[in-house]
Amino acid sequence: MRLPVGVKVGIVAIVVMGAYSGYANYIPQIESKPPQELSLEGGNVTPAQLIKAGEEIYKTKGTCEICHRIGQKGTRAPDLAGVGSRAAKTKPGMSAKAYIIESLISPNAYLVEGYPPIMPAVDKPPIGLNRSELWALTAFLESLGGTVDVALNDIPATAGAAAAGGAPAEVKIPGDATAGKAVFTGKGGCLACHKAKDVPGTPVGPDLSQIAKIQTTDYIMKKILDPKGMGTVAGFPPGVMPQTFGQALTAKEYTDLVAFLLTLK
Amino acid sequence: MRKAATAALVLTGSILLFSALPAFAQEAAKEPAYRSFPWIGSRLAVWAVAQLHLNFAAFILGVPIFAVIIEIIGWRTRDERYDWLSHEFVKLTFAAFSTTALLGALLLFLFIGYYPKFWTYMTSIFFPTYWIYALLFFAETFTVYLWYYGWDWLQGNRKWIHVSLGILSNLFGTAILFVANSWVTFMISPAGITESGALKGSVWAAINNYAWMPINIHRLIANIVFGGTIAGAYAAFRFLGAKTDEERARYDWMGYIGNFVALSAFIVLPFAGYYLGREIYAFNQTMGITMMGGFMSWLWIIQAILIGVLFIGSNYYLWLGMERIPGSERYRKYVPPMLIILAIGFMVWATPRSMVVTLDEARAMGGTHHPILGFLGVMSAKNTAVNLMILTTFLSFVLYRRANRVSEKPWVKTGMAVQWATFALAALIVTFYGVYGYFVESLVRIGFSVYQVGAVLAALVIVMAIDIPMFKGARSTGAIRWGTIAPRSQYVLIILAVTFTWLMGLMGFARSGIRQHWHVYGVLRDTSPEAVTPALGYAANVISIVTLVFFALVMFIFWLGGLGEKGKAGAHGHAAPVIAGGSDDKGRASEGAEHP
Repeated sequence: MRLPVGVKVGIVAIVVMGAYSGYANYIPQIESKPPQELSLEGGNVTPAQLIKAGEEIYKTKGTCEICHRIGQKGTRAPDLAGVGSRAAKTKPGMSAKAYIIESLISPNAYLVEGYPPIMPAVDKPPIGLNRSELWALTAFLESLGGTVDVALNDIPATAGAAAAGGAPAEVKIPGDATAGKAVFTGKGGCLACHKAKDVPGTPVGPDLSQIAKIQTTDYIMKKILDPKGMGTVAGFPPGVMPQTFGQALTAKEYTDLVAFLLTLK
Repeated sequence: MRKAATAALVLTGSILLFSALPAFAQEAAKEPAYRSFPWIGSRLAVWAVAQLHLNFAAFILGVPIFAVIIEIIGWRTRDERYDWLSHEFVKLTFAAFSTTALLGALLLFLFIGYYPKFWTYMTSIFFPTYWIYALLFFAETFTVYLWYYGWDWLQGNRKWIHVSLGILSNLFGTAILFVANSWVTFMISPAGITESGALKGSVWAAINNYAWMPINIHRLIANIVFGGTIAGAYAAFRFLGAKTDEERARYDWMGYIGNFVALSAFIVLPFAGYYLGREIYAFNQTMGITMMGGFMSWLWIIQAILIGVLFIGSNYYLWLGMERIPGSERYRKYVPPMLIILAIGFMVWATPRSMVVTLDEARAMGGTHHPILGFLGVMSAKNTAVNLMILTTFLSFVLYRRANRVSEKPWVKTGMAVQWATFALAALIVTFYGVYGYFVESLVRIGFSVYQVGAVLAALVIVMAIDIPMFKGARSTGAIRWGTIAPRSQYVLIILAVTFTWLMGLMGFARSGIRQHWHVYGVLRDTSPEAVTPALGYAANVISIVTLVFFALVMFIFWLGGLGEKGKAGAHGHAAPVIAGGSDDKGRASEGAEHP
């Protein structure tokens, strides 16, 4: 049987593309996930925990490993083995932690001989480490041959201020989602206007069954407290949602409700 | 005229939409940051439509560039076959015009609807350019329509007006490309804004960002390659389904021209790629390193495989084509060494620097780098390989070009000697800096690629500068027997088109993926649940499906375009020409349809 030209050509095209796709699926699969925010301010943290958190930042959000190695000379950036002790002697009159902090937020202030000025300030976007993360990373670097003595107050208050570049990727809400569901169906009376997955509601307002998928945490939190200020979703009547949740709900009920809404994906 | 009406409707709709954008933007400020597209999610919806739109846009922008050049050749040489061919090419783009506009409008709706916060921000920076874009689109559309429909009307003494319309439509098309590129490149390498992302002064600073000009150049060249491969595939399809020798000869010739155009532009494409890569590094080292050495490093191995297929495929097509040229037997001996160079170059380029291996394999190998092959995974080796592959491909073309010609110039021996010496010197320079690169620091090594590229470019220019006068008025060893090429060569043309389309999808993923979890790098963060940059396997599956849809749409559009001409002999007054080898009247075109 003679196949039509279109069929033959189609088979060739599919086989070629299948081969490319097959190979791409065969090689190591690496995703690039948005980094998480770390906050240690006000919390009790041991030096060991701090170093561990710093090592994690070194390998992930800090993207330090792209250029730096520990115990191996890199072509783009210096070997960081022993940097904890070496840092104290690099710039006269400057302590190890001060030198490391300066290197992180003003990398061009001092260049190790033989290396180009390519390091970005890690407290600025796109890396954008916050103060807690800078603290942990400094502690980790100090631990490489030196003594960990850095405190959160050693990190300049302005460092990391421009880090966000938009809302952080994930905010942990300390609320209880189960209790929040009770607020949604009970005291909050949200179901009077909103549906939320298995919670039936009248369609006066938008269906919230996927609200966490389409909205940011920041928006959800603000919308409950100031519905008018956050605008009305197109296609729904404005001014219906009460402005009084900020007064009517306790702080716990509010965070519980937000936690419940964030489960709606 | 129905097509004209559709396009006019789409344009009017777009203009109305653009004029309403400030209102949309105000609304969007109160709207959710994201909405969720049903079933497949917003990211995949935008990804698929953007890739499809880019494929069509690349085709309708790329083809007219060489169509007008072919028309000029036909006009100056008074050879009507070139005029027919140019008309055929424009006919193909013409059929795809409305689809491109429709997909562009769909993409716009997706952005406004599903990424309102992002779109509001982009509008706050680029709003003045929307008007320029819309006006250029109007200008481009009407010029192309006039160019196409005025083909018969503007013949004879008025041909210069027709050619000018072709040139003008290309200028408008290129300007549209540049405007759209400013939005895309701003997302990669934002410029002209404050730390909070607000426009600092003129919008020009935002347009003229680091990646803008390199991407303009890269896309312009790539569009020509893409247009050439699609036109070649169309001709191959028609060749395979041809009922007569004459038809087969005609589409063999058309396929050859399509491949010639694609190959000519493809040879210089890696240089534009270097320029783009360099500017990305200049903008942000972290981004550059992430692109080449981070989670995307394997992407370049896949790219190497695709480019290897394109190089070997293009050369194979030329070698098969030489079989239908009397006198080409003299050059057959060069094919094995050229194939060896291409195959080795392919293997070197596709060698990864480090491999993900099991512990036992790593122990057996002495590390994650193979003791011997690991050396081939670095840039020095890859740059050397690709430059030698470009030189080899160029040599293939030079041999094809002179296959049925014997120069009778008195200085032919000297000319040939200088040409071979130029090839040898360029290869020597490329190899020398490739080896020397292993012994110097990375910063110095990066600079070596400029010398390698320079040597190859110089060789291309010098060899052609000698070749053209040397073979002008050369003695012919026989006419090319168009239509007698082996049918498998036509499948090569189809593989080239599929591969290049797939490569465009892959490069689109790379361009977008290097921003990682940023809509606008370092300025506007992607806070949606889909902010993860997917792995290559997933990306490849998406690219394959979209490419398949693209070809299905293209075939449907071409079929629709052909419907209108069924039963009309010499539609638009353009009777299909007789190409040598395809009819009994062999003598009639003994010198016809020569190599460009």
